[in-house]
Amino acid sequence: MNKNYIYLTLLMLILSGGLFFLPDRDNTKYSNPEDLMWSIVQPTRFVSTDAIAKMIIENDPTLELIDVRAADEYGGFSLQNALNMPLDSIVSDNYQEYLGIDGMNTVFFSNDDIKADQAWVIAKRLGFDNVYVMKGGLNCWMSTIIKPLEPEETASSEAFELYSFRKGASIYFTGNNIESSSESKKTTLNITRKKKQSVAEGGC
Amino acid sequence: MGPLIPQGIITGDWDFVIALLLGIAFGFILEASGFSSSRNITGAFYGYNFVVLRVFFTAVLVAMIGLLYFDYMGWIAMDMLYILPTYLTPMILGSIIMGFGFVLGGFCPGTSYTAIAIGKIDAMVFTGGLFLGIFMFSETFPFFSDFYYSENMGNITISEMLGVSNEVFTFILVVVGLAAFWGTWIIEKRVRKNINPYKFD
Repeated sequence: MNKNYIYLTLLMLILSGGLFFLPDRDNTKYSNPEDLMWSIVQPTRFVSTDAIAKMIIENDPTLELIDVRAADEYGGFSLQNALNMPLDSIVSDNYQEYLGIDGMNTVFFSNDDIKADQAWVIAKRLGFDNVYVMKGGLNCWMSTIIKPLEPEETASSEAFELYSFRKGASIYFTGNNIESSSESKKTTLNITRKKKQSVAEGGC
Repeated sequence: MGPLIPQGIITGDWDFVIALLLGIAFGFILEASGFSSSRNITGAFYGYNFVVLRVFFTAVLVAMIGLLYFDYMGWIAMDMLYILPTYLTPMILGSIIMGFGFVLGGFCPGTSYTAIAIGKIDAMVFTGGLFLGIFMFSETFPFFSDFYYSENMGNITISEMLGVSNEVFTFILVVVGLAAFWGTWIIEKRVRKNINPYKFD
């Protein structure tokens, strides 16, 4: 019998037995605080409601919408194909498998963008990339996509193009018929509506 | 840092390059261990040669211990490794069929290719049968696909199923493996006294 086999036997026993005596060690990967700070101060995590609307209409397969509001709010109204992941459950394993899917762009949204931003920080800290926040949240969604305001007559042609896109998106999402556009023209003449326009511009 | 592709350190395009390199290394080790001879392989069933058991057990034990240490050092994230789902009864049946093929043909799929590489005609016939089997399996698959996917236990490991830690299970398997190594040497010695046609060392 070769002596080497005896040495190898002992080596295997020592190595496998040694596993029991390893001191505790935490290998959890957190993102570096400095990296996290840089990504927080950058506005690149924000996606506009127009971009989201375009992606939904085009059935973009890489878009994953996550509603971080509570389940009852989600039940009331949410975006098309959005998943509900209440803010306090993001750290649970059941939900984490929905994050960081290869090739998917995860977009968080809530009523405004505060909760969604918090969800974004948590997801980033957990080490997930490709996570974004819908700028302005559902309030902005309502004021820009569902009930867009017509730009003033002196506005640039880009503003009118954007308006016509939003109008089309509104019809797509609400199922309004084309007559509603003339109705909304009437409402834009209302002075109170114009006040709202300035609020919407600043709000999101 | 590892696993490299899921962590995004290298892209998935490297899959085939890595597979090729691993395949070459695997084939080399199989050939170097004498697995291109069907006499060596079937010896495990007749009791005169347990090199198959020793080589594969060694590979399993080294990989297990290595993975646990790598995980501890933070070099590989064990929870990111892919674990094949377990379909209990279909897998037991599959193993029995595989065992029959093993002892009847004298090769398992991998070793038949190493034997072809050194020009063995029996291995060429074996792989012919292998492809015929794959073809028949694929054509008749709809008839037993329900059974094939039955008893899905998910991506479970043995230590999870038994409720013990990975370290405990590894240690038990090391002890069992080492006992098997020494035990089979004794069996080989006794059996080989009574046969004489081949020398294996």
